[in-house]
Amino acid sequence: MSTLKHKGKGPQSLTGNELREGYSVWLTPELEWSRDFGEALKTEDETLIAAMQAKGEESEEANFVVGVYFIDIEPDTGLPVRYREKFRVKGPSYDTADELGLKREK
Amino acid sequence: MYRYDEFDREIVQSRVKQFRSQVERRLDGRITETQFKPLRLMNGLYLQLHAYMLRVAVPYGSLRAKQMRQLAMIADKYDRGYGHITTRQNIQFNWPELTDVPDILNDLAEVEMHGFQTSGNCIRNVTSDPYAGATAEEIEDPRPTAELLRQWSTMHPEFAYLPRKFKIAVVASKTDRAVIRAHDIGIEITKNDKGDVGYHIIVGGGLGRTPIIGQTLREFLPREELLPYLEATLRVYNRYGRRDNKYKARIKILVTETGIDAFKQMVDAEYETLEPLDIAVSAEEVARITSYFSGPDFEELPTHDDSYKAKLLSDKDFKNWAENNLAEHKMPGYAIVNISLKPIELAPGDITSDQMRAVADLSDKYSFSEIRTTHQQNVLLPHVKKSDLYEVYQALKDVKLHADNIGLISDIICCPGMDFCALATARSIPVSQAIAQRFADPERQRAIGEMQIKISGCINACGHHHVGHIGILGLEKAGVEFYQVKLGGDASENAAVGKVTGPGFSQEELVDGIERLVDYYLEVRKDGERFIDSYNRLGMAPFKEALYAA
Repeated sequence: MSTLKHKGKGPQSLTGNELREGYSVWLTPELEWSRDFGEALKTEDETLIAAMQAKGEESEEANFVVGVYFIDIEPDTGLPVRYREKFRVKGPSYDTADELGLKREK
Repeated sequence: MYRYDEFDREIVQSRVKQFRSQVERRLDGRITETQFKPLRLMNGLYLQLHAYMLRVAVPYGSLRAKQMRQLAMIADKYDRGYGHITTRQNIQFNWPELTDVPDILNDLAEVEMHGFQTSGNCIRNVTSDPYAGATAEEIEDPRPTAELLRQWSTMHPEFAYLPRKFKIAVVASKTDRAVIRAHDIGIEITKNDKGDVGYHIIVGGGLGRTPIIGQTLREFLPREELLPYLEATLRVYNRYGRRDNKYKARIKILVTETGIDAFKQMVDAEYETLEPLDIAVSAEEVARITSYFSGPDFEELPTHDDSYKAKLLSDKDFKNWAENNLAEHKMPGYAIVNISLKPIELAPGDITSDQMRAVADLSDKYSFSEIRTTHQQNVLLPHVKKSDLYEVYQALKDVKLHADNIGLISDIICCPGMDFCALATARSIPVSQAIAQRFADPERQRAIGEMQIKISGCINACGHHHVGHIGILGLEKAGVEFYQVKLGGDASENAAVGKVTGPGFSQEELVDGIERLVDYYLEVRKDGERFIDSYNRLGMAPFKEALYAA
């Protein structure tokens, strides 16, 4: 679980993907997982970060999420620092389903 | 078309059962993610940037109408109503949920489909000429050879954990519509001086971070030696391919570092140790496989069709579509119908479930239920009577599949890029759309003529940018996307890797630069030559100057 370990600088959030559905999720201040980055906990508090790490490990062991890792957050914007993570937050800038109003039937 | 025998059926169905059990054990924690990941990848299931992605194999790009309808059903029921055709002629779904994948695989198995060999360090889905069995250019239909390779490579126990993935493509024409020189092994079915049919074997081609054009391993390999010789080649690669460095693990690096002559000696030495008859396929088995591809019962028709000609005269849009999207068929009175999945406003290669069903219906009614996918991320109907072309065109128009841009500047190969891919460094779909929008005028596109723009969102080059006439690579620095340009690449039988022009561009600068480049080409071209011909005649310098002129 080396990717999970907090090594970043500045505010941190914890992210991963749901095992069953695969969607990106972020840990909230209630230490629950949300698909909405707007609800994500962003903190520099090392005690909270330790609690986040423990929750991440627990959630992976409980087979709820996979590939959990910390991401750096820009203090001024509250958005992830890395470009890739900004994209995970926003979702695809283009998806044919959105464009044409297509939906899953089930 | 090849039909599954009881072994094929049993293999696919037992894999579905296995995977269902693996998913159950993963969900209840009996196996870990580390254990599960290689198992899901063996079935084409990736975890991408936002969600899972399932890649379904379309062996040598051949699909039956029934299979296309099942893909449409899967897109609707388990995904978001569309699929994406890849540069390996496969189809992928961007939004499946893990809990549904065993059912999806079961539904695929019902129509003899699966996700084998679409991921992992194995021999990947074999690709081929989408015009196979329809073009007069071919020496023979390449699909029986591709099918033989599929059967040989499927779950080959010795080659399940190669140093890296391994891609094979087969053509049977001098015209290369499968980019065989950019494959780990490219096979051209050919004839020797005596008129015997055999194989020109090309090895060590590839794109990715180190683009290399393949070299000839055997100028003419007798037909019966194909599998033993490939077995020997793969053994040499399996033994000496670099497992210490993922980025140097493809066979192209081994061939380059060893030198083609020494590599050939190693293969020949290995070949000497084989008992060829243990691996070689009997002429009877080859004949059995070939019989499945004997071709449909074509009607005897005149070369020219009066009703078709009349429609060409009366409907200008139809005439433009016919000129760009049809290819000559080996049978008089028939045509190959290329269906563009590059409408100006949508993502290259995407096809909705309604469009899949429409293509399936058209293939049932007009093309002997056959459909092909192409590495250019389009689809085609291989055998349509000229007298039916207008009806086909009208039906395609009804589902917005009538774009008349095959081979033109808006027929862009484009990987999913940062919008979907976990490996990408920049977006590629919006760039492709911006270029297509800039050149949206059909008259202008036709005036420019054949032009291959290929876009990749990272150095792994899934969008084939190295072999684009204009190749575009998306990168990112300090949170800003920028795009590097290559010129002079060629994916055809004259394969060439393009050269980097210089510093990268923002998306907006890029589109302006490409427009200047194209305008310059239109100024200097001679006798209607293609962009790539003008480039080869004049060299990089003037085109670079035009690109950076702002």
